[in-house]
Formats: sequence, C-alpha cells, structure tokens
Amino acid sequence: MPDTPLISVSALSKHYRGFKRREGILGGIANLFHREYHTVKAVENVNFEIGRGEMVGYIGPNGAGKSTTIKMLTGILVPTSGEILSNGFVPWRQRAAYVKTIGVVFGQRTQLWWDIATIESFRLLRRIYDVSQRDFDERMELFNQVLGLTELLPVPVRKLSLGQRMRCDLAAALLHNPPILFLDEPTIGLDVVAKDHIRQFLRAINQRYKTTVLLTTHDLDDIEELCRRIMIIDRGIVLYDGPLARLKEQFLRTKQIKFILRDGDQSARLAAFERNLPSLAPNGDSGAATLHLERLDEMTCRLRFDRARVSSSDLIRQILAAVEVRDFVIEDEPIEEIIKRIYSGEAAMTPSLVSEVLETERSSAPR
Amino acid sequence: MSATRTLPIPAHKPSLLTSLKIYREFIRIGFVNILAFRLRYYTGIITYLINVTVYYFIWRAVFANATGSIAGFSLPQILTYVSVGWILRSFYWNTIDQEMAYEVIDGKIAMDFIKPVSVQWMWLARAMGESAFRLILLTAPTAIVVALLFPVLPPASKLNFALFLVAAVGSFFIMGALNFIIGTCAIPLTSILALIRAKFWLIELLSGLLIPLNFFPRSLQIVSSLLPFEHIAYTPLQIYLGRLSTTESLKLLGLEYFWVVALILLGHLWWIRATRKITIHGG
Repeated sequence: MPDTPLISVSALSKHYRGFKRREGILGGIANLFHREYHTVKAVENVNFEIGRGEMVGYIGPNGAGKSTTIKMLTGILVPTSGEILSNGFVPWRQRAAYVKTIGVVFGQRTQLWWDIATIESFRLLRRIYDVSQRDFDERMELFNQVLGLTELLPVPVRKLSLGQRMRCDLAAALLHNPPILFLDEPTIGLDVVAKDHIRQFLRAINQRYKTTVLLTTHDLDDIEELCRRIMIIDRGIVLYDGPLARLKEQFLRTKQIKFILRDGDQSARLAAFERNLPSLAPNGDSGAATLHLERLDEMTCRLRFDRARVSSSDLIRQILAAVEVRDFVIEDEPIEEIIKRIYSGEAAMTPSLVSEVLETERSSAPR
Repeated sequence: MSATRTLPIPAHKPSLLTSLKIYREFIRIGFVNILAFRLRYYTGIITYLINVTVYYFIWRAVFANATGSIAGFSLPQILTYVSVGWILRSFYWNTIDQEMAYEVIDGKIAMDFIKPVSVQWMWLARAMGESAFRLILLTAPTAIVVALLFPVLPPASKLNFALFLVAAVGSFFIMGALNFIIGTCAIPLTSILALIRAKFWLIELLSGLLIPLNFFPRSLQIVSSLLPFEHIAYTPLQIYLGRLSTTESLKLLGLEYFWVVALILLGHLWWIRATRKITIHGG
C-alpha cells in the first residue's frame, strides 16, 4: 500500500481584493468616495503533496505567493478556494488543535516576546504546548548543543542579533517536537556562519526526528544544502515541482562571465571577438544558443554560456586574447533568471514531464 | 481523494487545569513585560497625580460659590469621587487595542495565530498581568500619595468596599473586552488610530470618570444606562461612596457582569468574523 502524504494541497487559490489608489490630492479625495477594486491572485490553483520526513524547498521571486501559501498551510489565512489537509487537519478550521502539531518560523518576525528575557518565552511556550519538564530540559540541551543558546537565554529578545534571534526562534518552533516544520525565509539577512548553523540544525532535526520541513527561500544555497525536492512558484502558479538535481541539469546550465574592459576604445576588437564566438562552440552547435554576448554598458560585457558545453577557462583565455580586460566576475545565473526563463516558456516543462518528474521524486523520496 | 488519510499525530485537548496554567503564564508574561518599561512606570505615577490634582482644583472651583451640594454631591464626596476614580483608572486601564493595532500594522499578529490558545484570552491574560502589576506598583502608591495629599473619604462601609472591589474587577474586564473589540477592528481597517481616540473620549465621558453621570441631562443618563461604559467608573464609585442601597448596588453589579460576559462573547464572535478575511502585511 502506498504511503499517504502528510500534507496534501489541491486546487489551492487565494485572491485578494485590492483597490487602486489614485494619485494626488484630488485623487485622494476621490478615493474617499469611490474605489476601483481589482483582484490580486496571490496563489492560483496550487497542487502538491509532501510525504513524511521530506524536506522541500519552495522558491520564487518576491511576491510570488510563497508566504501566502505558507500562511494558508499554517492556518493564518483562509483560502479563497481549494483544499489543504495537513497532518489530518484542515488548518484554518481546526486552528488551535492543528498548530499544536506544527512549528513555524517566519524569518522576518519573531514569535518570542520582545522585551523579556528569552528564557521567559521558552517557559511560556513550554506551558502553551504542554511539554513536560523532562522533555523540555532534554530538548533545550539538544538545541543548546547545536545552536549554542545558553548565553542568549537571559538576554531580552530585542537585544539579540538577527542570527541569534533566528537560532532562538528555531528552537522555540521545535520545542514541542512537531512533526511538521514550516520555515518562511529562515536564513534571510543572516551571515554565512549563521546560515550554516541553521542549515546544520535543520538537517540534524530532520534526521533525528523525521521532521517534515517545507521552507521558502530566496537563497538557492539553502535548497542545495537541505532539500532534494524543489517547488518553484511565480505569480501564484507552481512552475516546477521535482528533484533539485533535475532542475539544475535542465535549467541551471547557464553561467555568465562579466568582464570590464580596461578602456572603452575596443569596440572593433570586441566586434571581432563576437563574430568569432560560434567557432568557440563545440562542433554542431549553433553558437547563439550556447554563447551569448551582451554589452551592458560601454565598459561592461556579459557573456552567457552553457557550462556543460564550454569550459570557462577556455573562454577566459579567448577573452583575454581578444580584448584588454580589467576585471572578471564568473557567476551562476541567478534563480530569478531561471524562473523568468521558465515562466516565459523558453524552458517550459511539458505537463507530461512535470508528472514524470513528480513520479520519480515520489518513488525516491525518503520515507 | 483516496479513502486513506494520514493519521494525525495526536494533539490532545488540554484539560481546564492545563488551560488555566497556560493563561497564568500569559499573566506572568504581562507582568514581567511591563517591568521592562521603568520610565513608563514612573511617568505613570506622576500622570495620575497630575490628573487628580487638576480635577481636585476644578471641582473646588465649581463648588466655590455653591452652597451645600450639586446634583446630590457634597464637596468632600465629589473630591473623593475624583480621587478614587483616578486611582481606579490606574488599575483597570490597559492598551490592548493599541498593541493589537500595532501588531496588525507590523504583521506580528500572525504569530498569535500559530499558538494553540484563544487569542482573545491570551490578550486578556496579558492585560491581567499588566493590571496586577499596576495594582501593586502604580495603584497602591498612587492611592497612598493621593490619600496623604487630598481629603479622601473612606469607603461608606466594609460591605461597600468589598462590593467596590468586585465592581473594580468588572471594570477591568469591560475595559479589556472593549479594547479587544476595538483592537480586532484593526484587522479589517488597518489604521484604527481615530477609532482608539474616539473610544478614549467616549469612555472618559460616559464612564463617569470626568463628571459623575447624574450631572448629565436625564435623557443622556437613560441612554448611558443602556450602555456598558458607566460600569467602568460610575458604578464602582457610587458603591464606594455608599450612594446606593445594597439591593441597588447588587443589581448594578449584576448588570455590570452581564456586560462583562456580553462583551467577551461579542469580542469572540467579532474576532472570528474579522479574521476570516484577514490579510497579513509584509508578504
């Protein structure tokens, strides 16, 4: 018998009604009497299932609908339409019972009490979630080992740094050992060391307690280090749902070299280089698809290339031979670019491919 | 959907005792929280002293040319009314509505949803903690200083004092329940500053704190008797001064606690309605 999912979401939509604000003083007065409403589709027909013990990354640009989805999953928002069944509960209908079985961290705000010592918040949460003193001590000990909380406990939350606060918030969300953990931008604004801390901790919790984790993020590194499965959403619609490896293989092929010219007087040499580009591409490939040169301004150029077909060291050698360069930057294509391409259809997944990917993922997902 | 469903990981319903322990913890948090604001506490005492002083002199001026009593109040009675009124206010006052409005604008209200408790009782419990704090560190010292500085009459009798205390607890709950209702308005309206202002003056006036209600025209008194506000200050103060018979006092106390229950219930229903269409700020 196939394992049933822990979280299942079907045809989930959330529409807001916003109104257009007219500009200027007269517009402001007009707004008092008459408003033109329009509908914002924050989330539109989203479907997915998550199995017990999975760690899933939910990504997309600002305003894509990630947080709205998380807020519906945590029972904060009521969907306009669609169904959610999470851990056997309908979140917004059985809020009080349901939230006892989940942990939530919103990276941009804290569930701890701002003005009092952190330990006081933990004590209150112990009461709220009805955690026995023995379990409390045991978990605090574990959290302390990984997150180093001891020196933070007597400090009021408002005096903690962002990284320190996030460590405390994570511990607070997991104090009652919930089977499901929702994280909304858990590493936003953190430095590299703090991010690493958080990721290590999440991995440890997932392994030890089989905690199911759904996290939204902007940071592809979060996904890379934590999740095997990734969902991409933009403008409320899920564009990709499948293993990270597949996404990278298919869409993260492109790298780019930005180079800054030593002086702006090299147009001719640059044009010659550009004409020569197709010859750099491996045999049989059309140069345009594999290599693409853009001039961003007089001094700066961007060369996008397929890292599977062209080696960056070769390219750099060629560039150096062709023009005089002051500086180089080599980078992966930003996630927003990938999503933009997926969205525009350039890298669209056919429906059959999506379901195929889903199937592969289901069978390989940890149980 | 398939017939098989994930078995929920059990979340047993807490017993009444556990629930009470939870809210006791919120009361403690409210208490500890206000400790964090020392300056607000010191200025609080001074504010109340200034208020008592101002109204003391206003009423002395009012009575300067009067012989005997006005609207049934003698000068010592009205001065006691004002002093005890402000001492009482230092106890029942809270700012749940402002804090809720702030949390809505900030988006922090979302964090209240993810806690397995009644949001209304969480706020009320926090306010209780705050009022317990106020009682010990604000109301008591203010009462002592006021009693030393101004000619305050003692309560009419021990029974009156006991009933006054019961009424004062009711004042707290009416105030708290009202503020929760106003605070919940922030969810659909976002900005409720004007509403809070309006409520402030409505309560200062209709609670009878500034002017005893029997100074008002008869028609206004009738309207007021149909509203909960006069039970915040007027009812307890009338009882303190012994201006009512015991039966009348008990009847008013009953009415006051009817309002306590009604307003808490109203707040509960309003919260459910308001949160159904919630939009959380900040993504």
